[in-house]
Amino acid sequence: MSELLIFLSSVRWQDLVDVTLSSYILFRLYFLFRGTHVFRVLIGIALLWFSQRIAVSLGLIVTSWGIQGITAVAAFIIIVVFRNEIRSVLQAKNLKSILWGFRYVSMSTPVERIIESAYELARKKIGALIVFPGKDDLEEVVHSGIPWRGLVSKEMILSIFWHDNPVHDGAAIIQGDRIIEVGAILPLSRREDLPSYYGTRHRAAAGLAEATDALVIIVSEERGDVAVAKGAEFDVVGRKEELARILRHHMGLPLVEEGYPKKQILRLGIAALASFLFIAGVWFSFTRGMYTLTTLEIPVEYTDVMAGMEILDTSVNAVRLDLSGSGALVKSIRPEQVKVRLDLSKGVVGPNTFNITHENISLPPGVVLKTVEPPTVEVTLDVPMKKELPVQVDWVGKLRKDLILAEAKVSPKRIRVVGGAQIVDGISTIYTEKVPLDNIHETGAMTVGLALNPASLQISPDSDDRITIKYTVKKRVE
Amino acid sequence: MKRKPFAYLFAVLCLGVFLYSQALAEKNEGPSPAVADEKLTLVQAAMCEGIKDYNPYNEAVVFSRTIGKVSCFTSFDPVPEKMFIYQNWFHRDRLSTKIKLFLQPPRWSTFSSIQLREADKGPWRVEVTDQGGNLLHVLRFSITD
Repeated sequence: MSELLIFLSSVRWQDLVDVTLSSYILFRLYFLFRGTHVFRVLIGIALLWFSQRIAVSLGLIVTSWGIQGITAVAAFIIIVVFRNEIRSVLQAKNLKSILWGFRYVSMSTPVERIIESAYELARKKIGALIVFPGKDDLEEVVHSGIPWRGLVSKEMILSIFWHDNPVHDGAAIIQGDRIIEVGAILPLSRREDLPSYYGTRHRAAAGLAEATDALVIIVSEERGDVAVAKGAEFDVVGRKEELARILRHHMGLPLVEEGYPKKQILRLGIAALASFLFIAGVWFSFTRGMYTLTTLEIPVEYTDVMAGMEILDTSVNAVRLDLSGSGALVKSIRPEQVKVRLDLSKGVVGPNTFNITHENISLPPGVVLKTVEPPTVEVTLDVPMKKELPVQVDWVGKLRKDLILAEAKVSPKRIRVVGGAQIVDGISTIYTEKVPLDNIHETGAMTVGLALNPASLQISPDSDDRITIKYTVKKRVE
Repeated sequence: MKRKPFAYLFAVLCLGVFLYSQALAEKNEGPSPAVADEKLTLVQAAMCEGIKDYNPYNEAVVFSRTIGKVSCFTSFDPVPEKMFIYQNWFHRDRLSTKIKLFLQPPRWSTFSSIQLREADKGPWRVEVTDQGGNLLHVLRFSITD
């Protein structure tokens, strides 16, 4: 129980959003592609991936390698092979229906109304062609259709195929509960085995059925019968129940009218739950599984120094972070994803000690900070100031014994320096770099630089950083 | 007897003139120009290897540690009264020693010395101040090998 509470307390709000969002995306993919070949192939790929993980865990080198290769190219295969399905799913829907629309309303093709209409047309000996597209795109084979987008009703179907209607010779295409096109011209079949009494209407139905996976209902004007063409099959259907079964099978609907939409909702609910469980499992395996440690050396970014202050010195420029997480996450960490920022807005003039806490460290999601070394950073802040200092030569080495360096004049005599007030206050002289005496034998001059100590001290831009020394050498009086 | 009031008036006037002149004399009283010039003045300051015949010898800005000691010589003229000065010896910016030296009027020369050690190598300065701490002069030199 306590472990469960510890686990729940370690779950961040980002984790909840992460799992929920990913679950919804997976659920929408299922929803958009359900019943299509793409979905079946996706499930197949998921099974392949799962098999590959099992093969890896069992140490089956060649098998895991082979499955991994197949899985890797599977995504590419899906796009190439099922481009029509993917296009039809994405093209047929607006953004709303892709993101949160529920298609089951439009999916409810009124099969009974269509059957009633077909047999009513047959009884009245009115010829008709009604197309029910499958997964294939009909655009390339069907021509001259007039967009309609009217709701399916018996009266509407009867009026479309009424003798005096200008579009009665063409086919009506029904998708979902709507007649999307009327007066469509279908490709004619060149089959030899069709009965000789079949006219153009029947040949058109057979032509479309051969070219695509669509189902076509043909109502014969001469004989008053109803036939169905799908693929190479062409059958006269005498009974309404038989036609209903064929249509339902083609549309992927249950053979018996079910308590719709309750069962649909239940099915979607199960799909949503399965999506959630799947994503939660993936999340858990990524974030909790395979506990791995790593150590990174990350530079400290000092931010928000108060106006007028500057950083004089820091005890460290980088800290060592011990991180943990799942193997996959830890391996994927790049140093630029990890930041250590120290807010100096509360710093005061002089030495400050800052603790490095979780708030100062930004990590990729799922990665946990174990320790920081060092846990504190000393930062010395100061207010920059300018000061004019006399210059003094820092002689080193040894002058010849019979000589004395009687005088040394420097130019300029004073230099302006910039540095932290605390440091500059304690300095009363600025020294040149070390000037060796060993080579000095007579009066002369030389130019030298300045030694800035501490290094944070800077020569003011308006001062010369080179010093000319004019020295006088005399003989020693014994 | 008739002339007595005039004598009395004359005596009063004389007293008035005397008192006024006394008042003026008091108002104008101050140091004489000769006394004002009596201000401590540093006329010579030098770093040297030693003092011979009350004068510095081998004045220099660089001294080898091997000579053993270095001296700071100062000479004042005039010295208005008995007083003292300080010679503050700094190794880099750190005060190494502060030496108090007495002066006698009307003029006086004095010096202080330090023994040299290995650790004394580097740039030095001696700040000469009066007894009030006012800086009179700065001498800069180096101790080398």
